[in-house]
Amino acid sequence: MKTTIARAVALSLAAVAGASFAQNIKIAQIVELSGPGTAAGTMYRNGANLAIKEINAAGGIMGRRIESVEMDTQTQPAIAKAMTVKAVDDKVTAIFGPVFSGSILVSQAESQKAGIPNFTGGEATTVTAQGNPFIFRSSLSQSSAIPKVAAYMANDLKVKSVAVVFGNNDFGKGGRDAIIKELGARNVKIAADISTDPGQVDMSSAVLRTKQANADAAFVYVNEEESARLLKEFRKQGYDKPLIGETTLLGAKVLELAGSAANGARGHVGLTADAPAFKDFLPKFEKEFKAKPDHNGIKGYFSAYVLKAAIEKAKSTDGKAVAAALRNSCFKAKDHPGILLDVCFDDKGDLDRESFLVEVKDGKQVVTQTLPMLGKR
Amino acid sequence: MMSKQHLAFLALALAALLAAPAFLKTYGLYLLTLWLVYVIAALGLNLTVGYAGLKSLCHAGFMGVGAYTVAIMMKAGFSFWLASPLAILLCFVLGLLIGFPALRVQLHYLGFATLGFNLLLVLFFRNEEWLTGGTFGIQNIKRPELFGFAFDGNAPFFYFVLLITVVAGVALALLLRSPWGRAFAALRDNPIRAESTGVNITAYTLMSFAIGAAYAGIAGALFAPLVNFIEPAPFGIANSLLFLMMVVVGGSGRFYGPVLGAAIALLLPEYLRFLKDWYLAVFGFAAVAMMIWLPGGLLSMRETWLLAKSKRDAKRQATPSGAEAA
Repeated sequence: MKTTIARAVALSLAAVAGASFAQNIKIAQIVELSGPGTAAGTMYRNGANLAIKEINAAGGIMGRRIESVEMDTQTQPAIAKAMTVKAVDDKVTAIFGPVFSGSILVSQAESQKAGIPNFTGGEATTVTAQGNPFIFRSSLSQSSAIPKVAAYMANDLKVKSVAVVFGNNDFGKGGRDAIIKELGARNVKIAADISTDPGQVDMSSAVLRTKQANADAAFVYVNEEESARLLKEFRKQGYDKPLIGETTLLGAKVLELAGSAANGARGHVGLTADAPAFKDFLPKFEKEFKAKPDHNGIKGYFSAYVLKAAIEKAKSTDGKAVAAALRNSCFKAKDHPGILLDVCFDDKGDLDRESFLVEVKDGKQVVTQTLPMLGKR
Repeated sequence: MMSKQHLAFLALALAALLAAPAFLKTYGLYLLTLWLVYVIAALGLNLTVGYAGLKSLCHAGFMGVGAYTVAIMMKAGFSFWLASPLAILLCFVLGLLIGFPALRVQLHYLGFATLGFNLLLVLFFRNEEWLTGGTFGIQNIKRPELFGFAFDGNAPFFYFVLLITVVAGVALALLLRSPWGRAFAALRDNPIRAESTGVNITAYTLMSFAIGAAYAGIAGALFAPLVNFIEPAPFGIANSLLFLMMVVVGGSGRFYGPVLGAAIALLLPEYLRFLKDWYLAVFGFAAVAMMIWLPGGLLSMRETWLLAKSKRDAKRQATPSGAEAA
């Protein structure tokens, strides 16, 4: 027992020592570096690290360097929450992550209590629905993305029935509920409603049931690794109807894991490195990490640059001032090249920007259409 | 009776714990409280695994039952003081039920049976959304209140958990010193012989499971208000294995084994964090190495060393000194 206390004391002393670099702007990256969220978390972290490196090389934010600490949530909300408490103890200026909606839903209570701006990659609608003035998305929420993909299926593909395959976690479940509602409003029938487990390896029964449903198309809404497994299984069983997804199904990591099995998959993405606006960002990321960035990589990169823009606008690193500088304001990519696309935050922390319809051809995302921002300010 | 050394050590440890909140920040105190919660759960598992010798792999599941019962009831407006005894009772009853297969199957087979039970519980937590909130879990679980005083701050809640830990620990120590404790050990070491001396094997097998489960229920009932949030993940099979590791690493069948084991399982990953992506691998290898060289757990270090020494001595005596010189 005594050793425990000694260790715990040493731990908090280390935290105090860390805080003495007062000149630097400290941020904490609380991301999924192990567990089912590893693919998403590491991408987000890499993106943020690239941006931080660039910002520091260019003289930092208002002359102050960014100092970043990384913490692993192990893709568990309870650990994410504990790590956020730790970051608050360390008196960081901003918190990046977690990426998974289930984690940020829980951990944001701690950053809110401490008044620290918290950027997340989570896309579940509920993330910004808790009246927290310190939460900011780095991507479109499900509630703005799902209607776009529903409209695409109903109007462009003209499907009459859809089989929905979703992952049974907060992310997948939230998307499933939204798409069923949106498709229903457009008179598209739900032919099957198929649940898969997070981390599920054998997708054969889910695919078999999709085939048996005999719908005009399948809408697949699961996390990255599961997406790749599903795509492979769909090809193996010779599924020949359109496979539609939103963001995760078409992510770079998924294309890498699924290989040629991803060809033909299409859908809507909020962010894609293949869009023209990312032509400078893409080679930089590839050079640094020897891998293609997916939407989470862009989210991390964006988070760091939007923090810089907000601190410069607020002329302060105070959490309240930074958050106030972001609420209800727009940032233009020509003033802040790092944010890549024009973006507007609303009063809840949701953001609005252009998004894309893509199709996978030869293992690459090809942008077929650019959709405008939802609300023109 | 306890030796003077033992008493002094306990008093010192307790004093250190009582003083701890003054020196710790929020996170450190959270970690220390979580450690106490794990200690309670691991004490229970040590009874089942270490003393009664039954391989149970559903301890996290029992903890989940405790946590969910408290969370659901508190959300429905019941007091913590009503919800937690019910949670513990429910775990006790479930422990009795899962004890039945333990009468028929043993060792690895019992491990598998309990593993399956844990899986069932997690599926229940995840899929019965109307009750458990599914993957979204249950948020904003309040801390308990007593006579208008809320254990809201981190330090008061820590003292509350510390009190429960001490009470649970003393109760277990008394149980182990009673004839029951002897019966459990007899069950582990030689069940046939135990039965021939009149120990009711059926009753004690069921009891060791049920009491172990009840301790997990206590831990769960404290876990929910500590984290303020629960979802299925912390009650999965991975954490059942972690609990087993706490017991085995500390020293199974030794009273303080789980206390040390829980500290290691919780704090070592924390300390190996500087290794970044490698820390889980290093942690795993350390556990493997320990199982090879110290199968009795860390608390058996002294005995293992003494045993090795006496073996060496015996060898030296067996070989005549003249032969060594040649």
